[in-house]
Amino acid sequence: MAVRVQFENNNEVGVFSKLTNSYCLVAIGGSENFYSVFEAELADTIPVVHVSIAGCRIIGRMTVANKNGLLVPSSTTDTELQHIRNSLPDTVKVQRVEERLSALGNVIACNDYVALVHPDLDKDTEEILADTLDVEVFRQTVAGNVLVGSYTALSNRGGLVHPKTTIQDQDELSSLLQVPLVAGTVNRGSDVVAAGLVVNDWSAFCGMDTTSTEISVIESVFKLNDAKPTAITSSMRASLIDSMS
Amino acid sequence: MSLYNFKKIAVVPTAKDFIDIILSKTQRKTPTVVHKHYKITRIRAFYMRKVKFTQQNFHDRLSRIIQEFPKLDDVHPFYADLMNVLYDKDHYKLGLGQLNTARHLIDNVAKDYVRLLKFGDSLYRCKQLKRAALGRMATIMKRQAANLTYLEQVRQHLARLPSIDPYTRTIIICGFPNVGKSSFINKITRADVEVQPYAFTTKSLYVGHTDYKYLRWQVIDTPGILDHPLEQRNVIEMQAVTALAHLRAAVLYIMDPSEQCGHSLEEQISLFESIKPLFSNKPLIVVLNKTDVIEPEDLPPNKRALIEELEANCAKGNLVNADSNSELRAVPVMRMSTVTERGVQELKIEACERLLGHRVAEKMRTKKVDGILNRLHVAIPSPRDNKERPPVLPPKVLERMQKAQRAQKLAEEVQPEVRETRKRKLEREIELEQGDDYVLDLKKNYADIDENERYDPIPEFWEGHNIADYIDPEIFDKLAELEKEEELRIEGGLYAVPKIELDETMKEIRELARQIRNKKAILKDESRLVKQSTKPVMPRTSRAREKGRSTSKLRDEMEKLGVDMSDSKQAHFTRSRSRSRSRSAPAAKRARVDTALAVKGRDTQGVRDVAMQKKAKQMAHIAISKKTKKMGLKGEADRFIGTKKPKHLFAGKRGVGKTDRR
Repeated sequence: MAVRVQFENNNEVGVFSKLTNSYCLVAIGGSENFYSVFEAELADTIPVVHVSIAGCRIIGRMTVANKNGLLVPSSTTDTELQHIRNSLPDTVKVQRVEERLSALGNVIACNDYVALVHPDLDKDTEEILADTLDVEVFRQTVAGNVLVGSYTALSNRGGLVHPKTTIQDQDELSSLLQVPLVAGTVNRGSDVVAAGLVVNDWSAFCGMDTTSTEISVIESVFKLNDAKPTAITSSMRASLIDSMS
Repeated sequence: MSLYNFKKIAVVPTAKDFIDIILSKTQRKTPTVVHKHYKITRIRAFYMRKVKFTQQNFHDRLSRIIQEFPKLDDVHPFYADLMNVLYDKDHYKLGLGQLNTARHLIDNVAKDYVRLLKFGDSLYRCKQLKRAALGRMATIMKRQAANLTYLEQVRQHLARLPSIDPYTRTIIICGFPNVGKSSFINKITRADVEVQPYAFTTKSLYVGHTDYKYLRWQVIDTPGILDHPLEQRNVIEMQAVTALAHLRAAVLYIMDPSEQCGHSLEEQISLFESIKPLFSNKPLIVVLNKTDVIEPEDLPPNKRALIEELEANCAKGNLVNADSNSELRAVPVMRMSTVTERGVQELKIEACERLLGHRVAEKMRTKKVDGILNRLHVAIPSPRDNKERPPVLPPKVLERMQKAQRAQKLAEEVQPEVRETRKRKLEREIELEQGDDYVLDLKKNYADIDENERYDPIPEFWEGHNIADYIDPEIFDKLAELEKEEELRIEGGLYAVPKIELDETMKEIRELARQIRNKKAILKDESRLVKQSTKPVMPRTSRAREKGRSTSKLRDEMEKLGVDMSDSKQAHFTRSRSRSRSRSAPAAKRARVDTALAVKGRDTQGVRDVAMQKKAKQMAHIAISKKTKKMGLKGEADRFIGTKKPKHLFAGKRGVGKTDRR
């Protein structure tokens, strides 16, 4: 099930949260409404943790994470890092990286096995990424955008990429990532899919503006319900064509 | 939907209100005080302003009305036709056109009167011209009274029109009156249309929305149509015809084989035949309603034959779109009962599917779809290695999924686990409970830290330092050891103070010292009392030597204290002269020599004797009196300057040397 949620009237939920298969990070906001949506959905299976990075709430864009580990930028304070370490299970490796492109979430997209990174990412960061998160790393762009982390939402079961990604690019990315990919939008046509959507292998959270067609695409490509990703080309095709053009 | 919003047209006031509004605005917003002794240009300007201001307001207001009402040539043909049916296109256009003329007339009146005002030669004339101008404008507006009331009615009606989006997915329900059209829309949407057992309950178009396949569908309920020529149709029927003619929608033609509606099956079929042209290029479904009253199979044979014939025609596809070979040729005939709800959902699904298929086919024919083809593609990965990359699902999630699947299979279970009751209290609930006292507790969920260690007030980090680095784990042992050592020392008597015996001389010295200390304290207090000034004082170090101190005084005081001062020759007491310069004598002054006598008056300077002095005085007197008389002065001191700044010297261009002419 994909859940529609808002962070203080903002639909970019991927900016204020990070979701993986073994934990979930949520920004510290003015009220607990946002946190409790995640808490209600996930807290019985994985820890849902309040986190800030360098005093900021944009944790989703600053960090990169999967079930094995978590990378935080060098601006993270010691106290924040300690809080994260205390809150996460011991199996999760937390690592601080010195990287010029400090919005790690924008420049890296990953699931538990593969990561796509910004072509200009530091060599050292790439190594740390491969070691900490235990992933294969590929330097790539998505629809001509270097910010692969912003334009790709990934889980181990599927992926959603920038709506302008060509079919060839989708096929190439898909064989790198080894998951089915679909080009699509969230939040009523927003192309920054990772900002409007956080997803793991069994749940997804998207912005309040997301239309039902977009949700249906998300649910089928990430296999959140019984539908297969191929449903997009078969049963949902007509409604997609009619709603998009 | 936002494309056609007629709800925002501003109110059109009646002619009387219109005039009142504008004139009172003129009164409020232009100056009101003028006097006849004002300059005539000012009086003219005053009245011209009034006339122009009034004209501008009329102009703006009328322009706004003309602009806000939808132009029939610009709106979607459906709305243009609907407005033609409802308000009569000619009347509507004429109304707006006349307003436009009125606007021009008012402009011209103002122009004329402003021109006339330029020749107004008195306040009274100007005022009369202004009155005439405003009066004529008001008359022009009064003539528009009928127009304005008509437009106001149109506005009110427009605002209440349902917001129909002519471009979206639409399903139109049509048929004879009272065959169950409104009942059907009430079943599939929440339009809540009034349903009554008589003809023409629905007198206008109604819109409802329904969801199917993640999309929103607009369902339009139309008033019933009777079977007669187009010219004889009334306004109510024409609305339905307009909707059918202009909206690209799926059409449901509802029939009532039970004939409860009061029209025979033959009539209904003939109506279908006559409005057939409206169905071309639209997905059409013929619906036999009221199966709860009578099933078509149970009808008398002649009626049944009619229905069978209709069904056969529909299936063959020679009813509508007969010339095209599109998928629209075959028309399904469906049955439903809005009372028992049998067939209602099936009908909705069939209608939606057919319309969606039709729309998609149309779009595929154009180039619209090319841009989004990449979004209809699912990239399936080709395996690049033999590595397995399974999804990671926690056991709890897996269990929940399996449970859900099982529950789905066992459909007979009435409530397949409403969702296991939550044991957890959400943070939000805690926040609501505590209200303003709520403070987010970040440390609550530190699973691997002992509960009584979680809230340690000593931070783990402080200004970039790890506190733990500065902690000596053996600090307590070390402390204990030190304390033990100290105890041993105390026991060993290290700190015991030895008793000291005093001898005679020492006693004497002590006694003397005590006396000195006392005396000192007394002196200090005394001097504090003596000192009268409360002003801040300079510290003693920088002060000149105190007067009250002298060798003799010292000697006295010391002797009083019992010090033997006899043998003090070597003590340099006698050198009493201060090194300070304050005591040194000032330099001796020179004797004053009286010099004042040497200075003489100016009148006597350079004069040989008294006679000469007298003569000089007289000469001066004559010269002065000559001057004063000649120039009309009061005396020697009279230096009157008539014009301080003569204009010729200060105005205009300066030639060479004109400034210092004075």
